[in-house]
Amino acid sequence: MFHKILIANRGEIALRILRACREMGIRAVIAHSTADAASLPVRLADESICIGPAESRQSYLNIPSIISAAAVTDSEAIHPGYGLLSENAAFAEICRACGITFIGPSPEAIRIMGDKAQAREMARQAGAPVVPGSDGALRGLDEAQRVADSIGYPVMIKAAAGGGGRGMRIVSERDALARAWATCQSEATKAFASGELYLEKFVDEARHVEVQVLGDRNGIRVHLGERDCSVQRRHQKLLEESPAPTISAETRAGLCKAALAVAHAVNYVSAGTVEFLVDRGGRYSFIEMNTRIQVEHPVTEMVTGVDLVREQIRLAAGESLGYAQSAVQMSGHAIECRVNAEDPETFVPSPGRVTAWVPPGGPKVRVDSHMMAGYTVPPHYDSLIAKIIVHGRDRAEAIARMHRALAETIVEGVKTTIPYHLKLLSDPAFLSGEFTLPRMERNL
Amino acid sequence: MRGGSGKGSGAWTPRELVELAVQHDLAELEVEQGGTRIRVVRERSAQAGERAPRAAAPGAAGALPTEGLEPALEASLVKVEAPMVGTFYRAPGPDTAPFVSEGDLIKEGQVLCIIEAMKLMNEIESKLTGRVAKVLVENGQPVEFGQPLFLVEPRR
Repeated sequence: MFHKILIANRGEIALRILRACREMGIRAVIAHSTADAASLPVRLADESICIGPAESRQSYLNIPSIISAAAVTDSEAIHPGYGLLSENAAFAEICRACGITFIGPSPEAIRIMGDKAQAREMARQAGAPVVPGSDGALRGLDEAQRVADSIGYPVMIKAAAGGGGRGMRIVSERDALARAWATCQSEATKAFASGELYLEKFVDEARHVEVQVLGDRNGIRVHLGERDCSVQRRHQKLLEESPAPTISAETRAGLCKAALAVAHAVNYVSAGTVEFLVDRGGRYSFIEMNTRIQVEHPVTEMVTGVDLVREQIRLAAGESLGYAQSAVQMSGHAIECRVNAEDPETFVPSPGRVTAWVPPGGPKVRVDSHMMAGYTVPPHYDSLIAKIIVHGRDRAEAIARMHRALAETIVEGVKTTIPYHLKLLSDPAFLSGEFTLPRMERNL
Repeated sequence: MRGGSGKGSGAWTPRELVELAVQHDLAELEVEQGGTRIRVVRERSAQAGERAPRAAAPGAAGALPTEGLEPALEASLVKVEAPMVGTFYRAPGPDTAPFVSEGDLIKEGQVLCIIEAMKLMNEIESKLTGRVAKVLVENGQPVEFGQPLFLVEPRR
């Protein structure tokens, strides 16, 4: 096992990784920017090292600085958290070349899954259903038009290098394709340094359901059930739950089997998430695989009792999983609400100084947050300030508990998405479980 | 950079205590909390190493180790900070003379030191002309981004 790990991330996930290290008896070094020098993870870490100025490009995304920080602190491994460098195959490769363990899958697996068009093809070959669309990346607008004509509108244009909900456009008719193509291409070039696009049939009224998988170096792989992430705003997830409401046992079994097939196909080691769209008839199709820890991982931890960050560290150190699928037991229902420093109506970020912070407590409530009174939410990074996760015997109990937890949460100084969540938890469509991606965006 | 002991939130960290002692110019400060006693003693000749507390306010030259310098001079000194994280070297090689020593006159663009990051030797150049008043970091020590390396007395 490692003696010292460098955490190359910030905010709540840096704290989450730090907590896992503490419980495992591993020293943790937090690599931070100047903007985060007074943050809670830095205060609580065994060691901290400043790697650059506030702008992520010069600090959290600065590969030479992070490798150098690991070297001068004698860290044996780097945990990249989520976002930032977590799905950067080149970074994972450099870690390997420098003799530092990257806590995540192989650079090869990251690279294949990072190219969304290639990932789609890989999933199809592994036997996972995919949404009808182009075979890999498109060569140009002409080909896009041909494919769209053959599968029928509406279609979705996506950036091959995209992810996290960016670089995609829904096109409802042929006349709109050329313009959407151009916009998407320039957006993708800017955001991902690659203008490669592919195209899929747009599945309306679908749910976003993802399966958590774990794999070790001996090829032992298990799934930890699914999470429903259909509550989104501008492709950004706001609430996640497990198990997914209203899907049949048959659909669930199919999803989990397909997720493991995809993980096997790339010889996946570490924790990963395979994302699917599930339509009203229970038909599912692979969208992409995220080769890192997810923001919403606590939902799975609550229903399975498995510490996913600990498993990531163990598996990276070369340990075997040590249990089979039958040992993974799920109980009850868990929900997570992402509390963002954003206006609950417009979703415009609301950075600033947190003057009061009282997190919720009581039975079966978990709060993952780097907040503290007097903390200034920096404008340089994402707006997630806390994740509130609850567990209940069933969905109704979990919803009631989340309602109670959110109502007792006090955040002053910045606007948060809590009012949105409270409204959502009383919405009939949400309560019935019969909600889908676009519908939730329209209604709230 | 901090290689410190952990603490529960709410309690004083050694770093905070040191800062408090510096801020109020105390020779000694002792705090007992949750069964742990922390005593901060400031020695006049204390050598500031890489684990020294960072100044509470940016640019607060008073908290920097400038003992032995004239107070009037101290106020006019300019800090040269590390532009990257890495290992600090005063000389191009183990058996060679340092790039600069205290008292040396330096010119803008002159190499002051090397910071090794990812096995690359990055020469750090001076952005000003002046005299090296103080070398703050020992050869071979790790430095973090923004850490003061030299104090320079600017000259025209």
